[in-house]
Parts: sequence; C-alpha cells; structure tokens
Amino acid sequence: MSDKHRTFHSKLNRRRVLQGLGGVGIAGLAGCAGGSDSETEGQSGTGTGGGSATEDESTDGGSSGSGGSLRMALVKSPIEFDPIVLNDVPSSQVVDRVVEGLYTYDEGTGVVPLLADGEPTVENGGQRYTVTIQDGATFSNGDPVTASDVKYSFEAPVDEQTPNASEVNMVDSITAVDEKTVQFDLQYPFAAFMNTLTWYVVPQSVREEDTDAFNTGDALVGSGPFVFEEWQEGNFVRLSANGEYWGDPQPNLSEIEFVPVEEATTRVTTLRNGENDVIEEIPPQQYTTVRNSISDASISEVPGIGYFYAAFNCNEGPTTDPLVREGIDYAFDMDQAVSNYVEPTGVRQYSPLPSAVAEDWGFPVDQWSQIPRSKDVDQTKALFDEAGVPDDYSFRIIVPPDDKRQQIGITISNGLQEAGWDASVQRLDWGAFLEQYLTGNEDDYNVYTLGWSGTPDPDAFTYYMFGATEDTLGVTDGTFYHDSSEQAATATEKFVEARRTNDQATRKQLYTEGITTVLEDRAHLPAYNLKNSFGVKDYVSDWHAHPVSSFTLATDYNNVSVNQQ
Amino acid sequence: MGRLRYTISRLLQSVPVIVGVITITFFLTDAIPGDPVSIMLGPSPSAQQAAAIRAKFGLDQPLYVRYFNYLFDVLRLDLGTSLYYQVPVTQKIMERLPVTMYLLLASFTFALVTAVPLGIVSAKRRNQPTDHISRVVALFGVSTPSFWIGLMLIIVFSFWLGWLPATNIILPWTGPANVDGASNQIEVIIESLRHLVMPMITLGTLQMAAFTRIERSSMLEVLGEEYVKLARAYGVSESKIVRKHAFRNAQLPLITLVGLQLTSALGGAVLTETVFSINGMGRLIITAIQNQDFQLVMGTTLVFGLAFVIGVIITDLSYAYVDPRVSFDGGE
Repeated sequence: MSDKHRTFHSKLNRRRVLQGLGGVGIAGLAGCAGGSDSETEGQSGTGTGGGSATEDESTDGGSSGSGGSLRMALVKSPIEFDPIVLNDVPSSQVVDRVVEGLYTYDEGTGVVPLLADGEPTVENGGQRYTVTIQDGATFSNGDPVTASDVKYSFEAPVDEQTPNASEVNMVDSITAVDEKTVQFDLQYPFAAFMNTLTWYVVPQSVREEDTDAFNTGDALVGSGPFVFEEWQEGNFVRLSANGEYWGDPQPNLSEIEFVPVEEATTRVTTLRNGENDVIEEIPPQQYTTVRNSISDASISEVPGIGYFYAAFNCNEGPTTDPLVREGIDYAFDMDQAVSNYVEPTGVRQYSPLPSAVAEDWGFPVDQWSQIPRSKDVDQTKALFDEAGVPDDYSFRIIVPPDDKRQQIGITISNGLQEAGWDASVQRLDWGAFLEQYLTGNEDDYNVYTLGWSGTPDPDAFTYYMFGATEDTLGVTDGTFYHDSSEQAATATEKFVEARRTNDQATRKQLYTEGITTVLEDRAHLPAYNLKNSFGVKDYVSDWHAHPVSSFTLATDYNNVSVNQQ
Repeated sequence: MGRLRYTISRLLQSVPVIVGVITITFFLTDAIPGDPVSIMLGPSPSAQQAAAIRAKFGLDQPLYVRYFNYLFDVLRLDLGTSLYYQVPVTQKIMERLPVTMYLLLASFTFALVTAVPLGIVSAKRRNQPTDHISRVVALFGVSTPSFWIGLMLIIVFSFWLGWLPATNIILPWTGPANVDGASNQIEVIIESLRHLVMPMITLGTLQMAAFTRIERSSMLEVLGEEYVKLARAYGVSESKIVRKHAFRNAQLPLITLVGLQLTSALGGAVLTETVFSINGMGRLIITAIQNQDFQLVMGTTLVFGLAFVIGVIITDLSYAYVDPRVSFDGGE
C-alpha cells in the first residue's frame, strides 16, 4: 500500500502505498497509511542497538519484568488498538507487543511458528492449510487460544469490512476442526499465504463483549509478552510485562512507554538528554548528530520491506513509448539522486524487491543493477527525437508530500529541462495524489513517484505494482503497464501465475523473468528503500531493529532490557 | 446594566461571524482535492467498505444537505464524529483545549510581563542604549519564526545543556502519580514549569516583541501630552508621572493589540506544539487537515473562530473599562 503519513504496521496492511516519511514502519504496512522505512547496515537480524549486555545473556531473561522500563519515542501517536480494525503504523507497533499470530518472523524475513505447533500441513494443491495451536498457549486473561479464536480473527476483518479485509480475503472458508486445529481453505492457491498466517489472533469472547473497549485498549487482550496498561492519546501508551506469559522467553522489561515526538530534532534531543531511551526514525541530516554528538547512544538500523520508485504513465502520452522511458532514464542519475537525498537513511534499490527479499530468494540483483542508464542528455534528445516527442511538449511529474520523493521528481525534471524539454513537478497532498496517480490520464501525469510496503514476499511488490488484473490496474497500479504491449502483458501475467504457484523454484523463475522484462522496459525506475532506524541508548541491551516488524523486544533471539544506573 | 447589555449585544453581533466561519470552512474543506475515505482505507478499498464509511459519516449526501445538517448539529452542540479518531469531535477538543489554553495564558503572561517594563524603560530612555537594545530585541522577536526560536531553545537548553525537557507540557493540576519523578503536588508544579519555559518563550516572543513596540510608542505619546508636561512643571518625579499619570492611558493601544494578537498566537501554537510535541489544539488541527478529517477540521476551526471572537469582545470590554471616555452606550 502506499505510504501516507507514516503509518506502518508490522503485520498490517501487507500492501500499502508508503505515505510515511521514512524509516520505521514500512515494516508491515502495506498500504496507505503512512509508513516508515527501514534498512540494515549490517546483517539483518543483528541489530546494533547499543547494548552492553551480550545477546545471549539477555535472551534468556529470568523472571518476567526484571529488566527495567523502557521509554521509546515514536513518530506519531497510536490511535487505536484493535488489530482487526487498526490501520496505522504506530498503533501496530504497540499492538504487536500484546497480540500474537499463529506464525511470526524470525530475525529476518523467514516465517516461523509462534502460537502454531509447527509448520502447517499444506494440501489440495496449496489451497488448504491446516495449523495446530500449541498446547498451553493462553491469552493474558488465562483463556486458552483456541481454533475458534483463530477462525474468528481471520474472518472478522472481512465480515466487518474493516480496512484490513484485504489482508485475509484470499481465504474462502475456515474450519475449527477441533479445539486446537484450524483449517484454512483458500479461494485459489496463494503462495504467500505463510505471511498471511502471521495475522493477529484475538480472543473472540473478549472482543465481542465490548469492541469499543477492546479498541481503546481498556479491554485489549492478547497472548503476547506484554499487556496493555494505559493510553492517553497523543501523550503516551504504557504496556507492562505479562506475568503469565505462556511463551518463552519471559520479557525482561517490566514496562514500556511509547511517546509520540513528531519533530525530528526534538526527537533526537530527547535521546541525548535521556527523556527517551530509544527513538525511531532518524532523518538523514541527524545521522551525524546521533553518531558524533551523542556519546552514549548508537544507531540500530535494518532495511525495511519497502520500495520507492519513479513510475511512468504507460496508458497515455509519450511515456507509453519505451524509447521515451529510456530517454528519461538517461536524463538523470538515480544513483546520484539517492546518494544526495536519501542516504544514509535509505539504500539504493535496483528492483521492486526489498534487499531482504531479493537476498533470501537469490534473485539476480547484480544483473538488475546494470539496467539503469547513467546520465547522458544527448541520448535523451536522440531517443526523444526518434520517438517523435514534440519539442514543445511539457512533461508533468506528480509527487506525494514527501521530501525525498519530491527530490527524485525534481531531479528527473531538471534532467528533462537540460535535454531541452519543459517539465514541471507538482507536489500533491495525499488525498489528491492517491486519486490522481491512478487515472492513467496524460493530463494528470507522465511520471509519478511513490513508495510501497508489503509482506516479505515478491508477490507483494510485483502483483500490486504491475497489475495484470482489475484488482490492481488503476487501483494500486497507476502505470497501466500491463495493457501497454504484448511483452508487458506476458511479463505481468507471470506475476499472477507466480502467486498461484507453490513451487519455490518455479516462482523464482517467473519473478526473475517478469521483473527483468519490467526493468528493461522501464515501467518503473526503482529508486531506494528506507531503513528502520533507531537511536538507542547504550544502557538498552539487546535492541533489535527488524525488517518486517520494525523492532522486537522479547523473542527467542533477543530480549531487551534497560540497565540504567 | 449598560455593560451587560453591551456584552449581550456584542455576543449577538458575533453570531453572523461564527456562521460565516462555519460556512466558509465547510465549503473550503469540501473543495480540498482528494477523498478522505481513500486516505482512511488505503488505495484499494472495496466498494462496500467505502460506501459503509460514507454512509456512516453522511458523506453520501448532497453538499447542501450536509451543510444544513452540520449547522443544526452545531446548534445542538454536536460537532460530529472524527473520521480519523472515530470519537466525538467535542471529546477530542475537550481533551486538547486545556493544554493550549494553558500555553496561551503562559505565553501572554510572559509577553506582557516582559514587554510592559521594556516598553516603558525604552520610552523613558529614548535613543539611549537601553532603548536601542529594547528595539533590537523587539525587532528580533517580530522577525524570527517561532519554530526556529523553539528549535534553538531545544538545541541549547535540552541538547547541549540538558537543563530542560524538550517535549510535552504538564498541567500543574496533574496528579503526582501521573508525573515521572514527582511525589507531591509541589514537585508536579516545578516539573510543569520546567516543561513550560521553552514553549512559553517560543510562543510568547512574537507577542512580547509586538507589545514592546506598541508600549514604547504609546508611552512616548502619553509622555508628550500637555498634562504630563504640566506635572513635570510642578516638579513631580518622572517615576511618579509614569506610575500615576501616564501608565493607565498608555495601556489602551496595548489592550487592543492583546486581543488582536490572539489569532497569531493560535497560529503560533500550531508550530510550537509540533516542535515541542505538545498535545494541544494546534496539533489536533494539523492532524485533522493531514487526514482530511472533515468534521475535526470544522470543529477545530470553529473553536479557533470562537476564540478570536471572544478575544475581540474581551478587548472591547476591557477598553471601555480602562478608558473612561468610552461608554457602553456608544460613542465617547
């Protein structure tokens, strides 16, 4: 989904236009409610969060809540806490500590059992998944997690038509086989369904008793290592350790307080003066400050699951011609633009796939990185002349209200002007942008810049970007590339085929072929991905920036504690 | 009795202004490009989802119907439900208003307490170094954006020196249990003041500068009046002249300006609250606009409009009270 104003969910909104400003939160926000971005300097899963304790030491945390209290600055305030309905990143960042899913992510993007007893049984050509819930898994109120709760949690978003319906609407029917076994029958074989199985599980009886209180947190119950304590909208959210947590390890932290601090300089200041122990999303100009001026803190970062790009209108106007798209590629240097305006908060990305996904699958990123052109405006002129672009043509570039994406648009515009063509950049508010970039009208745009976040599977970054179906053409895809040529149709149909295929090797082949065609055809010009970045005080141990979940606090690979004197 | 009648008459006169504010804001908000439902639901909501949201918030009705519905709702003090927060707009406003009122009160107090003496001293010592310094201070205050002042204060007093907290405002009547490190009400008040200092200066600097300039020029004018010259001729000391004869008369233009400055202060509050992460009306209106939360934009604008109208009325009443030449029956 597109990222609007930084709203990310770690498990939410697998597909989102990235509206956020940056870093943390892309993770999992698939759509439009603003997100954050992330990126890892080191290896995924090895958060550099300045901890003095060794990871191993803290992971085994002894008694629950012996590791102090943590105060963390988020960019925005959470506004609701019912995972069935919440649709913003800050809210999900809180809820992810309280509510669990059948599966979760490992240190990187791999899906591993959480409430589930092991891997699901997959039958019926990939259309039936059967999952067994662990014995002993309980909600914080002591009730066992049952198959009925799972069924309810996956059905509620669709039944109630919440903004999260699209997360689970590929499921045709769910059957509670017995108390601990749940069976999912899908409408079609959906290769990325393991990611769907990370969806939240809530206790049906508690939520139905008072949905309003569940959403305000007063009655929020989950099976996670923390429980909800108090919320003052715009001021703070407080969680405490779940003393009866069924899982392992018990959380080290006794309490976490999330506070919103929107202004970046102020946020960094609160790290320096100790008002907050951890802050999220460090803007590019503040990296040096955190690294050099705050002696007792460091930056923990990991590339998120996001994708920022420039895209062409392949439906109307000169950009329907691949020659013109290549000419525009020659008009500027994306490497330089990313270096100037995005780094160090983001990294150059050469394909629609976030680095974590591309690495996991072993895609030919090196080959794809050779596709973009270096700047050569003479080539732009030659290609435009060959394509017959009128000398007085004025290109229209639309960008969302985000400085980085605006700078990419301006860089393209400058290159076109250098080549001798007029080009304008129009920065639109989110509401206007989300309407305009999907029209396919030449009068509305020739080029747009946008971002996308999704689950860590190639499907999330191909199907929705190059829509070969009515679900995506003009809905999430403003290029209309699929309709622009036979070659385009063939390539994009591979993405549809790949999502309905369960064989990993076949999927990889289909994605490789499809993405290569799309890149060579320049439907998009991939730009960058952002990092989930955090400033972390040295007395915070075992902090882990996570590509999907933004950050993790108590897992089998990290267990955060605060060792303040 | 005359004063009461005058007050009621001024309040009645403000009704068309408020209706005008509602009308203009309503149609302008509607004219903003984009669809709040798409912001709320993301790029690919189902038709059912979108229709349900539109029906819930009355967005499926014709514009004129929505307008009159809104007017009637306002008469019943019902400002609708926030699209973004999904709670009544009045609830959000009541949560946020005390914080902004506290900040405004503090910043105006700071501005007046510093501006009045500065203006008087400046006038008494015209063209002397004190006067020059005061004018430079006033010029700086008028010409410097409040957000920049706020960021500089944060960088110096929070980032470098670590003396003051950079975020939030604590209301002095907050219970000790809700304030970190406070065990009694005295400590809460101290903590409240620590949190207040920088936002107060940030928001109050512009007012302080404007008040200083008006106080100086007004005092200069009064000190040049015939009755002041007469007092001097009788050998009355300069300080007594200022205290007994000039001070009250010199405040009339300042009183007028205080009311008019309320609007710029409300604008400044938006920036100040953002910089210091203060949970007040300023941040609320920004959130409303960013999310095209129609009802919340209307509600917050209405409050701002009301605040301005009330400010003007208070100014008028104060003026009449301070200046004996002004009567409540009209005319002088």
